[in-house]
Amino acid sequence: MSRYWPLPALAACALVPWLPGLPVFWLTLLNYIGISAILVVGVVVLTGIGGMTSFAQASFLGFGAYASAVLSTHYGLSPWLGLPAAIAVSAVAAGLIGAVTLRLRGHYLALGTMAVAMSLYYLFANLDFFGRNDGISGIPPLNLFGLSLVDGRLYLTLIWAVLVLVIVATNNLLDSRVGRAIRSLRGGALAAASFGVNTPAARQLAFVYAAVLAAIAGWLYAHLQRSVNPTPFGLNASIEYMLMAVLGGAGQVGGAVLGAVLVTVINDQLQDWLPRLLGQRGNYESIVFGLILLAVLQTAPEGLWPHLFRGRTRKRVIAPAEALPRRVMPQAGSPVLAVERLSKRFGGLIAVNEISFAVNAGEIVGLIGPNGAGKSTSFNLITGVADPSSGAVRLFGTALTGQPAREIAQRGVARSFQHVKLVPGMSVIENVAIGAHLRGQAGALAGVLRLDRAEEARLFAEAARQLARVGLAEQADRKATDLALGQQRVVEIARALCLDPVLLLLDEPAAGLRHNEKVELAALLRRLRAEGVAVLLVEHDMDFVMNLTDRLVVMDFGTKLAEGTAEAVRRDPAVIEAYLGAAQ
Amino acid sequence: MTGKPFALRFAAATVLALLASTALAEPIRIGVSISTTGPAASLGLPQQKSILLLPQEVAGQKVEYIVLDDGGDTTKAVANARKLIDENKVDALIGSSTTPASLAMIDVAAEKATPMVSLAASAAIIQPMDAKRAWVFKVPQNDDLMADAIGDHMAAHKVKTVAFIGFNDAYGDGWAVQFKRVAAAKGITIVADERFARTDASVTGQVLKMLAGKPDAVLIAGSGTPAALPQKTLHERNYGGVIYQTHGIANNDFLRVGGKDVEGTILPVGPMLVAAQLPDSNPIKAHALEYITRYEAANGAGSVATFGAHAYDAGTLLAAAIPVALKQGAPGTAGFRAGLRAAMEGQHGLVMAHGVATMSATDHNGFDSRARVMVTIQGGAWKLLP
Amino acid sequence: MDSTIVAILVQDGIVNGAIYALLALSLVLVFAVTRVVFVPQGEFVAYGALTYAALDSGSTPGSLWLLCALGALAFVAGVIRRGPVLRLAVTSLVLPAVVTGLTLWLAPLKPGVAVNAALALAIVTPMAPYIYRIGFQPLAEASVLVLLIAAVAVHLVLAGLGLVFFGPEGSRATAFADFSLSLGDLTLPGQALWILGLTAALMAGLYGFFGFTLLGKALRATAVNRLGARLVGIATAQSGGIAFALAGAIGALSGILVVPLTTVYYDSGFVIGLKGFTAAIIAGMGSYPGAVLAALAVGVLESFSSFWASAFKEVIVFTAIIPVLLWRSLRHVTLEDEEE
Repeated sequence: MSRYWPLPALAACALVPWLPGLPVFWLTLLNYIGISAILVVGVVVLTGIGGMTSFAQASFLGFGAYASAVLSTHYGLSPWLGLPAAIAVSAVAAGLIGAVTLRLRGHYLALGTMAVAMSLYYLFANLDFFGRNDGISGIPPLNLFGLSLVDGRLYLTLIWAVLVLVIVATNNLLDSRVGRAIRSLRGGALAAASFGVNTPAARQLAFVYAAVLAAIAGWLYAHLQRSVNPTPFGLNASIEYMLMAVLGGAGQVGGAVLGAVLVTVINDQLQDWLPRLLGQRGNYESIVFGLILLAVLQTAPEGLWPHLFRGRTRKRVIAPAEALPRRVMPQAGSPVLAVERLSKRFGGLIAVNEISFAVNAGEIVGLIGPNGAGKSTSFNLITGVADPSSGAVRLFGTALTGQPAREIAQRGVARSFQHVKLVPGMSVIENVAIGAHLRGQAGALAGVLRLDRAEEARLFAEAARQLARVGLAEQADRKATDLALGQQRVVEIARALCLDPVLLLLDEPAAGLRHNEKVELAALLRRLRAEGVAVLLVEHDMDFVMNLTDRLVVMDFGTKLAEGTAEAVRRDPAVIEAYLGAAQ
Repeated sequence: MTGKPFALRFAAATVLALLASTALAEPIRIGVSISTTGPAASLGLPQQKSILLLPQEVAGQKVEYIVLDDGGDTTKAVANARKLIDENKVDALIGSSTTPASLAMIDVAAEKATPMVSLAASAAIIQPMDAKRAWVFKVPQNDDLMADAIGDHMAAHKVKTVAFIGFNDAYGDGWAVQFKRVAAAKGITIVADERFARTDASVTGQVLKMLAGKPDAVLIAGSGTPAALPQKTLHERNYGGVIYQTHGIANNDFLRVGGKDVEGTILPVGPMLVAAQLPDSNPIKAHALEYITRYEAANGAGSVATFGAHAYDAGTLLAAAIPVALKQGAPGTAGFRAGLRAAMEGQHGLVMAHGVATMSATDHNGFDSRARVMVTIQGGAWKLLP
Repeated sequence: MDSTIVAILVQDGIVNGAIYALLALSLVLVFAVTRVVFVPQGEFVAYGALTYAALDSGSTPGSLWLLCALGALAFVAGVIRRGPVLRLAVTSLVLPAVVTGLTLWLAPLKPGVAVNAALALAIVTPMAPYIYRIGFQPLAEASVLVLLIAAVAVHLVLAGLGLVFFGPEGSRATAFADFSLSLGDLTLPGQALWILGLTAALMAGLYGFFGFTLLGKALRATAVNRLGARLVGIATAQSGGIAFALAGAIGALSGILVVPLTTVYYDSGFVIGLKGFTAAIIAGMGSYPGAVLAALAVGVLESFSSFWASAFKEVIVFTAIIPVLLWRSLRHVTLEDEEE
């Protein structure tokens, strides 16, 4: 699909309804499909991409529809004013509901939103202001240049034009700095937070965005139907929208449209065919629909879109751009990180016990020790992923203890993970660009409106530069999780470098690398050292560690066993006995 | 009730009917959108079965019925109406079973200039009469007619205080509004206004609240078997006052589930329910008995429900209008549809299972007090009150 | 509102809450073992209730044919996946045939409460493991979202079939025993005592099952670590089937217990199940005693809100979980989790 598809698509929206011979009822179906698709695009962003399952989307449709219905009937305002009102009401409601429910994860969120949906349904149905169960009828149609949009054809053009714009906006959003934050929520949230992504804010943003799309759909619905009542906004409706997303393919925006088409058309066709096959008594539509759904899920759990439109990897063009501003690096040898009597207890188990050491600018320090010595836990304590039980971590003399991971990242601490944490659906270079998250400012709106292109170019130029630096420039457009595990570790290093770190923490960077790759990695780390970066690394490959590091800290059973140069540590009798002795 | 197999023999009949209908001249097509699933299925299913009893030929023209389910969902009801008009080219609509869905269909019927006969209770469907509602007719008794009957009965029996409990949906809401109007007119105090959901497992809280007001009588506004639950709970709490129900409960399942706890209930219903007890002079009797006989022949003894008869009445109304409308145009034309509308509006003294209708430009229901009788439950059966 | 009313409301709430507790327990169990949010749980309540009510009135329940059909499908699905044919034939063909034979023979005789309840359980319970084999076993590796949607699909099918088999109107059965217990102003109907007693017994039974039997421990092991359990020789599919069977049995039993007390409809189960869910979430979807307490609390809250503001009862009950969830999530500061 070319970048310019929206133009012919918009033209088609204007022309298709007037095709001679197009059955009139198709217009009706297409109208409903369009409205559903707009909402389901929101479900894709929220659930398929952001990993948050919400069963309250039809309630937001209701907020939008009721807002415009109330304004245009009770207060006689123009239906066009209903749109901003619908968006505002729904966004505020989503903001409030999100603030309460988004702290929940996974199935808790799904069920929490189910409860919200039930509650809102009965609220709509019992308030006189909303016309109780009978709802509000006699809603005026939309007018455009004096033309009343009661005709299905004109309304079809409007709905599908809105859908095209919504898809463009959503694609823009997802391909922006904020969009990468949202995409990292599913499966890569911990890593994203370690690179300064405000993950709660990203969750909230996705939730509000989906609610706004639902409100737009609700506004269109109210003025198409010209009456509203609680039934289309209940839990069953929300479930149906979720079905559309999952059936079509919840991971892709296109899946939303496909799902809306499939569910609507299948239901319509069942309505035609089942009475002919099974007779006019009883009703078997929902039974057969459920069976079809189950069959599709079993053959294509990720939805149908990836099966129909498979595997096109877009090549990202890296334009030359002005380099991003760099951090002022500290004087070589000046203290960067100081770990003071750090301890971490899990119940009765002491994982880290009163560890103290320091890392200076332009120095590579190795943290070694047998498995379970507490190395990775120490990493997590330093980067704010876990809170220490006692002790302190200082960066340039300022305490980091108790700070969230993203605050620590802001100060120039970057890391890689023992178990690789790359965002599964994203390309290598997009993953790397997450490292540069804090070096950009563009917000969601700038992303949607494409006002962020200059900044994006700079971020991606930086990502490409770091990727080239670690020798993976060729792999930039591949899916990150398609690379060999060793290479994925190197991608993590490139991502860390994108932060422009003063302190780099690497957890087993050489694991899974071939010999010459290790040599290149070592050379890279030496260059970083020369630039004044402080490096702390955990590594099991003793040759690699011994040749590279300036100093070593040896841990065993959570306590520091020894500290010193590679030579000194190698001769330390305690170390030989506890660790090296066993190895040699 | 239980254990009905898939009705394949009807499938065969339907396929034959569909094949036959494509031959010869354009038949008259009637589109039906009712709630055969979802919360209003107890209304929609007997209606669906009653549609099968409607005449297949009127005035020498074949009549074809296309039945769609809306599950009580207004969006679906509107989509069905559009589908029936645009795709099936129907000449008239019947439906829907519930008030909100019927209200939502009005716009489509008016926009497409297709007459529509609603099967739902609320008078709001046909009042206030306006250009849109000119296309809309309604065969069930208006809820105000039924509420007035209850009000009269209460006043005659010196009921001063009433506790109300209704479904937490459009049916219960509609009755709450109507009953407040009637109570104000008759000087009756409403001491409690409670709601319950159709599938609630317990209404103990509501019943305690109602009893706290020490009402002379209780009015329960629900449809079908769920309406028995408040009454059973009242019975458990040894409530001694009179219990009124609405015509929504009038099927034999209610008697089956209610058992001895619903003895003595008083309710207004369409005369169809107690047709056999009507005097022979009543013109409704023969018509209603014919419906009951045919319905029970197809669906088993004791299966008849008043909701089904509304669909039958809708068919009767259309069948009466078709011969007149045919003079205005052939089926499938705007002239025929306008003719149907005018002919229905012109009906005078049309006998149906639920009453005698005299329509006018302002009254698209046309029923008078002959369309309702007061009945009680005695010995597990409906008994006409004098 | 005097003390009598309070007492009656509490009693009513606890009886309803006991049913929610049973459902909450089985939901927690199924989720822990299979990661399926078992939406059709409610249908098992309705099927159990309506099957029992049909037997109680001396007729043959339509769900019997569904049992046979599901058994046959499960057999085919098992054979396609190269299961042991003989064992499959016994569990999915012979068993339904035996149950069908017994039902056709006994139902017209009106054999009494115990036999009817046993028959209803025998008809409804095996459907759950059949459904697991047909619908969920092929999706064992899918995400929680896909499993949830598959559960919704099963719910649609079962609810639709419920309407076909049992019709739109509700049913009620005669009480197990026609006695009631008077405690001052409070009258406890015998059926309520049955519900409370059986719920307590069932919970004790489950406690014993999970605490002291090998099978129970195996299920717990699967819940903690699926891969680990497989490595030590516990088949995921088998434990999933057992979890579903338990959930089906608990659902059907709940239905059998409530149907003499209230009218049950083909679609009653969904809302009852949702309230069970609510309790399970409040308890954190992992704690059995917590789920029981939360379920009782939900029942009592519901009972009181139907007294105070019946029109807004559902609003109150379903909104109440939000502060609880908020409190829970504030108490346990969750770090970014990597599960999807």
